[in-house]
Amino acid sequence: MKGSVFTSKVTSVCLIFFALIFFSVKNVHAQPDGASLFKAQCAQCHSTGSNKVIGPGLKDVHTRRNEEWLLKWTKNSQGVIKSGDAYAVKLYNEFNQTAMPSFALSDDEIKSIFAYIKAEGEKAAAAPAAGAPGAATAKAEEPGFPWMLTMIFVILGVLYLVLGKVKEGLERALRAKQGLPEPIPVTSKQASKNWIRGNKKLIAVMFVIFAVWGSVKGWNALAGIGISQNYAPEQPIKFSHKLHVGQNGISCVYCHSGAEKSRHANIPSPNVCMNCHKYVQQGPTYGTTEIAKIYAALDYDPNTQKYGPNPKPIKWVQIHNLPDLAYFNHAQHVTVGQIECQTCHGPVEEMEVVKQFSPLTMGWCIDCHRTTEVKMEGNAYYTELHDKLKKQYGPEAKLTVDKIGGLECARCHY
Amino acid sequence: MCPLPLLISDTTLHTDMEKKYWKGVEELRNDAEFVRLKNNEFFEHIPVDEVIGRKAESADATPRRDFLKFLGFGMAAATLAACEAPVKKALPYVVKPEEITPGIPNYYASTFSDGHDYASILVKTREGRPIKIDGNEMSSISKGATHARVQASVLGLYDNNRLRGPKAAGKDTDWATADKEIKAKLEAAVAKNGKIRILTATVVSPSTKALFAEFAAKYPGTEVVTYDAVSFAGTLKANEQSFGKAALPTYRFDNADVIVSVGADFLSNWINPTEHARQYAANRKLFGKKTMSRHYQFEATLSVTGSNADHRYKVKPGQYGSVVAALYNKVASLAGATSISAGNTSVDDGISKAARDLWNSKGRSVVVCGSNDPAVQVLINGINTLLGNYGSTVNIDMHSNLRQGSDEKMAALVAEMASGAVDVLFMYNVNPAYTYPDAAAFKAALKKVGTSVSFAGTEDESASEANYICPDHHYLESWNDAEPVKGMFSLGQPVIRPLFKTRQMQDSLIQWAGLPYQDYLTFIQGNWNKSMYGMQTAISSYDAFWTKSLQEGVFETAPAAGVNVFAGDVAAAASSIVKSKTDGLELVIYEKTGIGNGNQANNPWLQELPDPVSKVCWDNYFAMSPAFAKAQGFSQGNVIEVKAGNKTVKGPVYLQPGVADQTIAIAIGYGRTKAGKAADNIGVNAYELASMVNGTIHYYNTGITINKTVDEDHVLAATQTHHTMMGRAIVKETNLDKWLKDPKSGNPDVMLETYKGKKKATEMDLWATEKNPGHDKPNHFWGMSIDLNSCIGCGSCVVACQVENNVPVVGKDEINRSREMHWIRIDRYYTSDTTKESAEKDGMGKIDMLAKMEDPSENPEVVFQPMLCQHCNHAPCETVCPVAATTHSSEGLNMMAYNRCVGTRYCANNCPYKVRRYNWFKYSDNTQFDFNMNDDLGKMVLNPDVVVRSRGVMEKCSMCVQRIQYGKLEAKKAGRRPKDGEINTACAQSCPTNAITFGDYNDPASRLSAEAKDARAYHVLEELNVQPSIYYQTKVRNKDTGTKA
Repeated sequence: MKGSVFTSKVTSVCLIFFALIFFSVKNVHAQPDGASLFKAQCAQCHSTGSNKVIGPGLKDVHTRRNEEWLLKWTKNSQGVIKSGDAYAVKLYNEFNQTAMPSFALSDDEIKSIFAYIKAEGEKAAAAPAAGAPGAATAKAEEPGFPWMLTMIFVILGVLYLVLGKVKEGLERALRAKQGLPEPIPVTSKQASKNWIRGNKKLIAVMFVIFAVWGSVKGWNALAGIGISQNYAPEQPIKFSHKLHVGQNGISCVYCHSGAEKSRHANIPSPNVCMNCHKYVQQGPTYGTTEIAKIYAALDYDPNTQKYGPNPKPIKWVQIHNLPDLAYFNHAQHVTVGQIECQTCHGPVEEMEVVKQFSPLTMGWCIDCHRTTEVKMEGNAYYTELHDKLKKQYGPEAKLTVDKIGGLECARCHY
Repeated sequence: MCPLPLLISDTTLHTDMEKKYWKGVEELRNDAEFVRLKNNEFFEHIPVDEVIGRKAESADATPRRDFLKFLGFGMAAATLAACEAPVKKALPYVVKPEEITPGIPNYYASTFSDGHDYASILVKTREGRPIKIDGNEMSSISKGATHARVQASVLGLYDNNRLRGPKAAGKDTDWATADKEIKAKLEAAVAKNGKIRILTATVVSPSTKALFAEFAAKYPGTEVVTYDAVSFAGTLKANEQSFGKAALPTYRFDNADVIVSVGADFLSNWINPTEHARQYAANRKLFGKKTMSRHYQFEATLSVTGSNADHRYKVKPGQYGSVVAALYNKVASLAGATSISAGNTSVDDGISKAARDLWNSKGRSVVVCGSNDPAVQVLINGINTLLGNYGSTVNIDMHSNLRQGSDEKMAALVAEMASGAVDVLFMYNVNPAYTYPDAAAFKAALKKVGTSVSFAGTEDESASEANYICPDHHYLESWNDAEPVKGMFSLGQPVIRPLFKTRQMQDSLIQWAGLPYQDYLTFIQGNWNKSMYGMQTAISSYDAFWTKSLQEGVFETAPAAGVNVFAGDVAAAASSIVKSKTDGLELVIYEKTGIGNGNQANNPWLQELPDPVSKVCWDNYFAMSPAFAKAQGFSQGNVIEVKAGNKTVKGPVYLQPGVADQTIAIAIGYGRTKAGKAADNIGVNAYELASMVNGTIHYYNTGITINKTVDEDHVLAATQTHHTMMGRAIVKETNLDKWLKDPKSGNPDVMLETYKGKKKATEMDLWATEKNPGHDKPNHFWGMSIDLNSCIGCGSCVVACQVENNVPVVGKDEINRSREMHWIRIDRYYTSDTTKESAEKDGMGKIDMLAKMEDPSENPEVVFQPMLCQHCNHAPCETVCPVAATTHSSEGLNMMAYNRCVGTRYCANNCPYKVRRYNWFKYSDNTQFDFNMNDDLGKMVLNPDVVVRSRGVMEKCSMCVQRIQYGKLEAKKAGRRPKDGEINTACAQSCPTNAITFGDYNDPASRLSAEAKDARAYHVLEELNVQPSIYYQTKVRNKDTGTKA
């Protein structure tokens, strides 16, 4: 244990060190970052491709307009229009006279943005079909292969063989020195028989250990039937909770709006996606391919911004499959119990692909009901009951869910 | 062997009880079969052989070892198969409608109106799918009440038998072709001045009527003929004679202190039973008041209404007229009016009492009659006029529109059709090929019609004979409006897109007539703008008015009261009453609560709903009194041949106490041939037996002859006579005068003999001591109170529970094996007239007395008792479950974890109330149970909050725990306590009489807490001290005992 504490300390010290270097490097090279500026200032209305969002797609804009014009336009588009610039007026009318706001950016910053747009355009041209560059996918943290242990075993094995040979050689030399005859060669079968005879106790102990280990493994395997913990099926849309919740900080109930009021948390319908994805037409990981599936479901054309007549639902794969015999209500836990979503669903904000975090067994439910205190304060439903229970269990007692009948059958089974 | 003989209470020995109740006549007669069944509480055959696939006698039976091999292989295969979880897909909306949150139900106000019944309703939809019908409390007509038929109507939407699109000459066609052809026929008919007829059931929709008028203007020669399967034509005629209005009055049974009904089953079928039931119960409840109505019933067969009467007299159907005439004379003599000619009747004593009570409560009484003889109805109007009931309990100004059919016009139409004069005939909401007494004549006439078009949603008896079927939407897919009572409007809105390529009848008419409306909705909106909007002044914008009306489902006005002078000629009426001979066998035709007129016969929920009185389901039969059957040499199930005029109908005998002597009764709605898989070939068609007298259809017939056919028996499936209560008294009862003196009367404390002397049953406890008072219920304590005074036994709760809790339909065969799955049942008990007092007076010994109490009574009093899981707080079922699948919650619920149950059925054996139900089979996706759960369409009605149980597990009433949990969560989300009444069970919500109160005992302000403290409150089988969470309220009758109440 001590060792591991030590290691972790070393790791964190290293991490801090590297982080410091990283940031200092960043600070040294403080140049306008076209990519982040574009995302912060422009991406709401423009894409780096040729598709329209609110404003025109900016792919190859440098070939259409010169730098001077672009600088003027970005700083004060209305000014350019008022000056009677024919191209500007045409553009303004083409986009329903939606005015582009003025941006107080320095020339360098604006140039960096257009450099970024240009680079993006070239990148797209270089790999026209590359929808999802693999580099961007976060590497899943798989448990590492036990290299150390293997090495030790290998070294020990080599040592054993070497020492065996050495022992053999020494024995032979000893015999030769003493003039003893060569020993009668023993067959390997005979040798193992001899070994077994000599080590009966060891074998018995090993057998017992193996039997116990086997039973435990077997039992666990059987008990795990029907439990699909860590079930992480592939979904029709590669929706990343890590991006939406972890990075963009969208609240869980923004999309799973049923969780606060209903039995079901609900998978959001695509029209909820459109609140953002009407404007965000390109994702950082998969580009347009995955977002296009939302449009396909709604029969939406991002260029004309029109909904078609043939929407079709998205067939998500259900991850949490509670059996029909168990009744679970989200609102009870989220609104009344004020339980964090993560308590049961795990760190969804870190999941690229969502998996079933909890076993969803009855034992798991019961364990939580035995240890979780009921949020009675501030809820008039519980006032009277709270007083009664305080008298019954003492003022300091933890009033857990099981104390108000939370283990009774008909709370979940009916 | 009685399973609980340890403590013998006084009650069980009947010494405190005046009467003895039976579960059925079988028990009363102590049939050998019944004794055998009674002694084996669970007399179902245990299908071991079927399970292991062996025929008991077959020689090549599977040996045990093979069976074990198969079993082993099966387990291995199942284990392997289970390793691979199937991939489930989740499909969210493409564009989620703003008002829908998956998992949260939406409610829409709408209207149920099928030409027979009416109710203003709320439709519960989940994810855009209607799954439950509730009553609309905004309506002052139905006041939130529903009826079994209304509750069940949602399944009609998911009927696999529905037509997928239009048909021409029995072949599928498309709308464009059908439109073109029908339009051509219409134009051809107009060109030659031909006749176009729209044959419809009563239309209560003002917009549809307006549309008919516009259609007729476009196609001159169009005439609308209204025909009701259950006709009130005679009453309409009488009201026209009496008041110049061919309409039915509306009633206020809640304002009536004395109710006299001659053959009108107003609580179950007559005009608008839901409305009547709620009113009736209002004046029968004794919470916070000390008065209740007195109800006299004169009738031929034991109806639901008659079962609830304080005094019931058996009268042959042909004698209704004589009874009414005699009643008129008695009232007239009290009022000092001139009498009419009337003879004596067999029930003169009852008539005198009724007349006296009526006169004592004049202005607060009501007399109704089920006869369709105009002369009789004129006399009824005369009696109500003499009593000054018009304006208080009977209202002809705000008249009912629910029955407008004219038998004479229908007969004329059939004649016209037969002559070949009709060019185009439209049939809407009618099925005369089945319902018309002379169906053969109608069918023959239909063949002579140039072009016949049916709007039926299924290929029923009439539609299949028509040239075109242009299927109408189901009402849950349609826009409509209704005016069931003058000035009381309601709107119907679609709650789901049309499932099939059907089209609303009104849209078809708009299409064919080329009317300048986009669709029927536009037409309704235009009509409401023109007519209804001006009837109010509160809202000054039409759009706001429309939105409010649509949201609330109703728009109600108060039409000014007119002056209605009775102008009927009672003397003339008295002489023209259709009378039958007093001897001779008569046949009466009635409606059952579930099946009604038969238009929803293909609904398996309604087929399986037991008749409230006979408890028979999936059948109709000839009901006759046991004495009469004995005299004729009939026993139950014998098939007899009944001949009425030139019609002969074969059907089984059912022994029904309370049927008038020399009378047999049969229900309509059965014997359908083209209704669908649930209804076809079930029972016999009784419409054929109705008689036509002076142009109106009378639902009885005289001059009947019966023959027993040779060696034919028919098995009737009844839900009662199973699950016996071991002869113990479980319904407590008293009379109003006694109750006024002593509120505990009829409900004495149950005392048990102990070695310390007599003790109250509830004081003895195995579990709770003073130090340990038993289980704590710190938060909620759910329970129920059931008022036996209000329960009329209608069965609305049974269907509502079935809808809410995904209770499967099991079919007739399984019912016969006592394997019905209903979580709530209504036990019906007959009483005997022998009492302890009368026995003492006669100097009878105790044994003689008990034996005498077993004697059948000719005209039994009836009590109904809804029976469901009592959620015992010392539940016997919980202690015997070997796997703790049934346990108790800290909120007082007896919980059932289906997936924990291994099916030992110990719990059911140990349940004193016999309310646990065992899943003998998997009832879903099983071709053996080809009902709604066997097809994808029918499964759409399932409640997604309740699991569908599998084979081999026990189930029972959960007190709608899904609703409790939902209600609690709503309160928690809002940070408040649930309000009393906010959480309600399906049975309590659907009860038309509010007999069931659900609530929280821990809420001292709840209605339940108050009712639990009432002196009438008791627990069933209190001597067992299982401490049920359900209280019953002693039934109080208001019989005339000679003492002043």
